[in-house]
Amino acid sequence: MNPVATLGATGRGMAGALGALGRFVGFTGQALGWMLRPPFHLREVAAQLVQIGWLSLPVVGMTALFTGAALALQIFAGSARYGAEFAVPSITAIGMVRELGPVLGGLMVAARVASSIAAEIGTMKVSEQLDALKTLAVEPMQFLTVPRLVAATLAMPVLVAVGDSIGILGGYAVGVTRLGFDGPTYLRNTLDFLEFWDIASGLVKGAVFGFLVALSGCYFGMHSGRGAQGVGEATKSAVVLASVLILAANYLLTEAFFSA
Amino acid sequence: MIRAEGLHKAFGPKQVLRGVSFEVPKGQSLVVIGGSGTGKSVLLKCLLGLERADRGTVDLAGLTNPTPHAVAPHVGMLFQGAALFDSLPVWQNVAFRLMRGTGRMGRVEAKALAVEKLARVGLGPEVAELFPAELSGGMQKRVGLARAIAGDPPILFFDEPTAGLDPIMSAVINALIRGIVTELGATALTITHDMRTVRDVADRVAMLHEGVFHWQGPAAEAFGSHDPVLRQFTEGRTEGPIPTLR
Ligand SMILES: Nc1ncnc2c1ncn2[C@@H]1O[C@H](COP(=O)(O)OP(=O)(O)OP(=O)(O)O)[C@@H](O)[C@H]1O
Ligand SMILES: [Mg+2]
Repeated sequence: MNPVATLGATGRGMAGALGALGRFVGFTGQALGWMLRPPFHLREVAAQLVQIGWLSLPVVGMTALFTGAALALQIFAGSARYGAEFAVPSITAIGMVRELGPVLGGLMVAARVASSIAAEIGTMKVSEQLDALKTLAVEPMQFLTVPRLVAATLAMPVLVAVGDSIGILGGYAVGVTRLGFDGPTYLRNTLDFLEFWDIASGLVKGAVFGFLVALSGCYFGMHSGRGAQGVGEATKSAVVLASVLILAANYLLTEAFFSA
Repeated sequence: MIRAEGLHKAFGPKQVLRGVSFEVPKGQSLVVIGGSGTGKSVLLKCLLGLERADRGTVDLAGLTNPTPHAVAPHVGMLFQGAALFDSLPVWQNVAFRLMRGTGRMGRVEAKALAVEKLARVGLGPEVAELFPAELSGGMQKRVGLARAIAGDPPILFFDEPTAGLDPIMSAVINALIRGIVTELGATALTITHDMRTVRDVADRVAMLHEGVFHWQGPAAEAFGSHDPVLRQFTEGRTEGPIPTLR
């Protein structure tokens, strides 16, 4: 291939990517701006807390249960090599609370919520419901995006806290039934070694992930293409972006907490 | 008053509006006709600021080139596809405007008013609790119409209000629109393919053809006109200056 053409194509690709990034950042700024402006649609926030928070509990709970159980087995397998099996309860808890609870919970919520937000708003766009809102003096950013962002940011730490607890219980169940731990000792080891910051950092991660999930869903919904195909594309992109953003943000937050 | 001056709108290379100019004085009814795909719905969206015109000016409710938000308190709009909010029951769709913003009504009062508006479009109170997905196309259209007229906005836009309705219901809707203009003094712009609506609703008629208002004049002159384009259209003939492949 001709090098000038290759360079041109690369340049166009990068310009396209930068443009998309710019639009996403611009959308985020707009959404934050609308968040501060009245009227506040509290009824919508409440409805979204149910949709995003309450209805995600089963998914997040199941994920945490199996993850905690598997984690305890894996940590036992590793620590047994050093004769350090006593560390299973505390390391399982720390791994769950600092990392796996928020990340896996976040990814499950991304799959469930980013997709449904993008599909719902995308369908509203395609069927002119967003235009109809505007002609009825309601700004879609304020009425649709802001309540979802607020609800996801508030609900996700609670989901993480519930997931953490269930995950630790999963580890406990395996520890007691399969690994020969004494029940009360397992729990005491868990609680004695957990520090406040272990838990708090996981909850902060949860809030950030919740925000990112709702943001991706709303962004792709609002920018959905026409027709069923456009909505399908928007839904897929929302889940992919939300997942990647969660993993990237997780690394950055972990670095920040690690150095702090 | 609704006024447009030299409106242009293109989508990519496709030039849809090429200089549309007209005026609807307060308390008058303009009916816009024109072939499918000529840009009638796009024109409405440009007037409301939902699509940004490439060139030209719009004056609506005393505002020049207004945003949808700025004109919203003054206008009601029926979308071609009804555009009902499918997460809300019918009555909350109709009462949407009444339950928000300054001077908002309580739930009970708003619901009573919604039921009353539904009755005006020929829908009984049992429809109020249904969701849009449970309605037929024609029923959705009428709910959209009830939503547009709720709150009695002084300027109304109707995109094909009788499309998909039976002849009796069409007559009810035509009479309703005519009544809102004559009795309440509203200003209305109605898009239609229904010649009966033209006869029953229009003070003036405009025909959109090739991106401009090819003909506009008093309703009484529209049907006897010798303009070949208008004539072919109103008489629904396949031969004439308007191609059938477009
Ligand atoms: N968002 C858009 N993007 C690209 N093209 C569009 C868009 N909206 C409308 N068009 C094009 O503009 C033209 C006019 O469309 P419009 O919906 O205004 O037609 P219409 O006169 O209302 O037709 P009908 O009587 O069938 O409703 C069509 O050719 C359509 O393809
Ligand atoms: Mg149309």
